[in-house]
Amino acid sequence: MTADAGSLDARVREGEAPRAGIVVAEHLSKWYGQIIGLNDVTLSVPPGITGLLGPNGAGKSTLMKMITGQLKPSQGTITVLGERIWGNPALYARIGFCPEQDAFYERMTGLEWVTALVRLNGVDEGEADLLAKRALELVELSDAANKKIGAYSKGMRQRVKMAQALVHDPELIVLDEPLSGMDPIVRRKTIRMIREWGRQGKSIIVSSHILHEIEAMTPNILLISQGRILAEGDVHQIRSLIDEHPHTVHIRAERPRSLAREFLAHDDVLSLEFEDDAVVVETARPDMFYARLTTLAASGELGTIHEVTSPDDNLQAVFQYLVKS
Amino acid sequence: MLWSRRSVFLGLVVGGPVVLAATLRLAELSGLLFDPRRPRPAGVVVYGMMIWLIYVRFLVPVLGVFYGTSLIADEVDDKTLTYLFTRPIQRSAVIIGKYLAYLVCTILLLLPSVVIVFFLVVPLGQGATIGAMFPTLLTDLGMLAFGLAAYGAVFAFVGARLKRPLVVGLLFALGWEPAVLIAPGYLKRATVAYYLQALVRHEMPQDSPASTLMQIFREIPPVSTSLIGLAVIVGLGLWLAGRTVEVREYVLEQ
Repeated sequence: MTADAGSLDARVREGEAPRAGIVVAEHLSKWYGQIIGLNDVTLSVPPGITGLLGPNGAGKSTLMKMITGQLKPSQGTITVLGERIWGNPALYARIGFCPEQDAFYERMTGLEWVTALVRLNGVDEGEADLLAKRALELVELSDAANKKIGAYSKGMRQRVKMAQALVHDPELIVLDEPLSGMDPIVRRKTIRMIREWGRQGKSIIVSSHILHEIEAMTPNILLISQGRILAEGDVHQIRSLIDEHPHTVHIRAERPRSLAREFLAHDDVLSLEFEDDAVVVETARPDMFYARLTTLAASGELGTIHEVTSPDDNLQAVFQYLVKS
Repeated sequence: MLWSRRSVFLGLVVGGPVVLAATLRLAELSGLLFDPRRPRPAGVVVYGMMIWLIYVRFLVPVLGVFYGTSLIADEVDDKTLTYLFTRPIQRSAVIIGKYLAYLVCTILLLLPSVVIVFFLVVPLGQGATIGAMFPTLLTDLGMLAFGLAAYGAVFAFVGARLKRPLVVGLLFALGWEPAVLIAPGYLKRATVAYYLQALVRHEMPQDSPASTLMQIFREIPPVSTSLIGLAVIVGLGLWLAGRTVEVREYVLEQ
């Protein structure tokens, strides 16, 4: 795992073997005139499900488009499944892309549309029909297969988009904001589907600007902002990379003030404040702090500790911290 | 491609000469329109004028512009291009395939109109019979189809290359070409109309000063030169269109 932000320690990569991964970018940059879409991005996406997380305008779609060969690098290189993607259409037999835009041939039915697209993979008519039906079944659109796409709901439109990305059974599926506009029930179903595809051995790169969506799908993330990758890896491991920076712990306890007096006796506690029946501690060395807290909780000498949470140990906190760095 | 507002509009435009021809025929049959003291124009002449003025100078270029420029431009505007360019086929194959569909559709749209006009107009007045003129009809159909192919190829390239291809296309077809054809010199050889008009077997109408000037400066290349010229235009246009889509990035607005 790596992190690359202003105040974070970057991993030293001297002498390391060339990156391996389903997507490998080396010093990748993309600009549109004066506007920088991606700025010197170096990353390696491992097999499995990877979440690409960032606010609107962060460069997620630019990176997605470069991964799917719609844009060529202004500088640097990008390889997908070990091959250059730009100008290499044969690679699309192994990649499925679900773009963000809500755009279709509205007069076609879902089945006609998916069939027509998979025929471009060189599949004959009969097989295309079977594959399309199977893909629509996977996204739970079999009942609506013969309805015109123009009559589909937002959720159905997103799912038929995913169907065309899956229909040729690709190794890598790239989903650009797949949950956009979905209601909570459909959202939950779609997240379940994505996780199932991951379990079946497919690699999936899914982008979102909504943190809990990504968390629900995968612990493996890429954080992007302003065209730069801020961090990549497991969310917990990323958090551990910034352990020299203050870590906030929220402790709900029977006697918070007694706990506070104990905490202040140690120099790793930087600050604390009180909230109702809790004390919120900022510590520079979370491992030591947690070890001490565990001992206190076990002994009970300073009262019962009801709950210990860390607002930092989720994507929201990590992301906001890294963006500000 | 056919089921769009554009097609309905162009269908009406293509139907215009049919309506005109039917009107002329009805007028003759009813004896209403023509002055019996004056000789009636031969149907063949009327048919030839319609081929020149309506089909060769207007409908064929306009169909080429409207459909040819939209092959890629519509996919960009509708943001559906992504689905085509993320399939395991060459991008040039996409545009060639769409061009072939354009050709079939425009031929099916235009040529029946010509056939109906032929059967309505040729029997007017005195002159050659339908049977005698039938080879001319076949030649005209081939010539118009070749014109659709040539204009389509040129505007497929324009549509792939430019952001506002329709405006540029209309300026080219209805502005640049007629202007250059009037002027003396070699510029006219950089037009589709120069080669296409050489294949028209009918007398060019004297309908305006521009036509008169065109007659004066008109050089008529041999049929073989025209056919080769149009074939080169088709090949070059399609090659340029294919090359453009292979190397160009299409940034679809979100």
